[in-house]
Amino acid sequence: MMRRFLIAIVAALASAAPAHAGDPASFTADSLAGIEARYAGRPFILSLWSVNDCSYCMAELTLFGKYAKAGKPLPLVLVATDGPEFTPAIERTLGRFGLGGKDSWVFDDAIPERLRGAVDPTWYGELPRTYLYDAHHRRETVVGALSEKKLERWLQQH
Amino acid sequence: MNVLRFGACAALLAVSPLACAQHHEAGAHAGPAGALAVGATLDAKGRLWLARVESQRLLVAHSENGGAGFSVPVVVTPEPEAISADGENRPKIAVANDGTVLLTWTQSLPQKYSGNIRFARSTDGGAHFSAPITLNDDGRLTSHRFDSLAINGTGRVTVAWLDARDRDAAKEKGDAFAGVSIYFAESADNGAHFGANRRLVEHTCECCRTSLTWTAEGPVALWRNLYGTHTRDFAIGTLDTASVRRATDDEWRIDACPHHGGSLAVDGRGALHMVWFTQGQTRKGLFYRYIRGTTESAPMAFGDPAAQAGHATIAAAGDTVLITWREFDGHVYVAQALYSIDGGSSWSEPQRLATSSAAADYPLPLVDGKRALVVWNSATEGLRVLPLEQVKPQ
Repeated sequence: MMRRFLIAIVAALASAAPAHAGDPASFTADSLAGIEARYAGRPFILSLWSVNDCSYCMAELTLFGKYAKAGKPLPLVLVATDGPEFTPAIERTLGRFGLGGKDSWVFDDAIPERLRGAVDPTWYGELPRTYLYDAHHRRETVVGALSEKKLERWLQQH
Repeated sequence: MNVLRFGACAALLAVSPLACAQHHEAGAHAGPAGALAVGATLDAKGRLWLARVESQRLLVAHSENGGAGFSVPVVVTPEPEAISADGENRPKIAVANDGTVLLTWTQSLPQKYSGNIRFARSTDGGAHFSAPITLNDDGRLTSHRFDSLAINGTGRVTVAWLDARDRDAAKEKGDAFAGVSIYFAESADNGAHFGANRRLVEHTCECCRTSLTWTAEGPVALWRNLYGTHTRDFAIGTLDTASVRRATDDEWRIDACPHHGGSLAVDGRGALHMVWFTQGQTRKGLFYRYIRGTTESAPMAFGDPAAQAGHATIAAAGDTVLITWREFDGHVYVAQALYSIDGGSSWSEPQRLATSSAAADYPLPLVDGKRALVVWNSATEGLRVLPLEQVKPQ
């Protein structure tokens, strides 16, 4: 019974995850609902970033990379707002920070406002922007770079 | 409403057939083959000039009839280069009283965040352009980006930009340096020669457009500054006197890249008009204020926050002031405008000018003594020149 349950979970994870590990999946207006469903009952971190023109994003990826490299559990969903044409740069960048295995998405809409609206209607595109979801999916918005102190506290609490 | 596909394939086949295939696939970050962000200006004769980027080339054309038809585009950049023309990056174009056409743009370099400020000009009415030159003279491979251009029309040309040379120098010494700097280069002969780069200010936000306008006191700049290491509010500076002061008290404390700057214009009476975006503690959204001597108006909110109103630009001439910005109403992009015919004392209702169902540039306002136009480029509708007939410039 337990085994079947686990298989079902693995299957669910596989269906919602990017087709190829490392590739950013296409993030569209309904993607976040799928991600939230996949993490139902579990806390996770949704981090919006850009491979273009966002030095503070690199600081945040460095922080995430530090935890990932240390092998600490880090339920992280990374969404790049650059567009699918930046897939190679996104993969390269995440690989460099040791985040190549993390759940990775990329904005795929000619109107990014539509996707921003789906994530948070009050978001005008400032990056980085991070949402700390608790197990009930109440989320705390972090505007700008996430501090190590805040990440550490969140990881301890969840 | 005049609709023109300036980027139409026919005009570009000589440059690259690829431009045609990719033009309509241009996304928010349109590739080099069909950048949506254009530059536009009106010259002293009322002609509309347009600068845009296709297939890594900067092209210039002009219209004698308010945008109904354009001349065959002339290539400014003989060699392909990565020209920043997305988001708040766009080529800048100005035309001096003697007809000299002046252009600046940011050349994006392969190393992350690095770029050069480029300049070229035409002294034969836009038929030929000088070989592009790089204005930043520090020899560093670093961030020189977010250029702005202003001229007095009779020879003086000022180009200002965000420059990371001081930050890099500080880092080399192991020192901390918040933000970047503003540097500028000036010409007294319509761009035939430029003097050495000069620094206006250190510690500015790194990635918002700068705005420059020419006043009776010379060029005046508006930019998102850093106050302390976290607060990203606007500053205004007179370049000739290097006098800089805080222009907004929004208290936007954020360690992030807003990519969302402000815009500055001067009217016929010398009053400054500014629009800006903030998500500060004091206020959030798009705002306008005028500065008449020592008098500043209170920030006036405009745009629908529920529609992500943003990226406003302002233009002024005589007593006319025109503001444009972009919204997303949940289905389409909307080009919006507000106008004043009394120097910013009173304002029209928001004017919903046009919509676009796919990727689009931010709308650009243009006014002179006789006309008020909004230039709006988009992937599916092409370049539109929208006259505001209801505005009767003074």
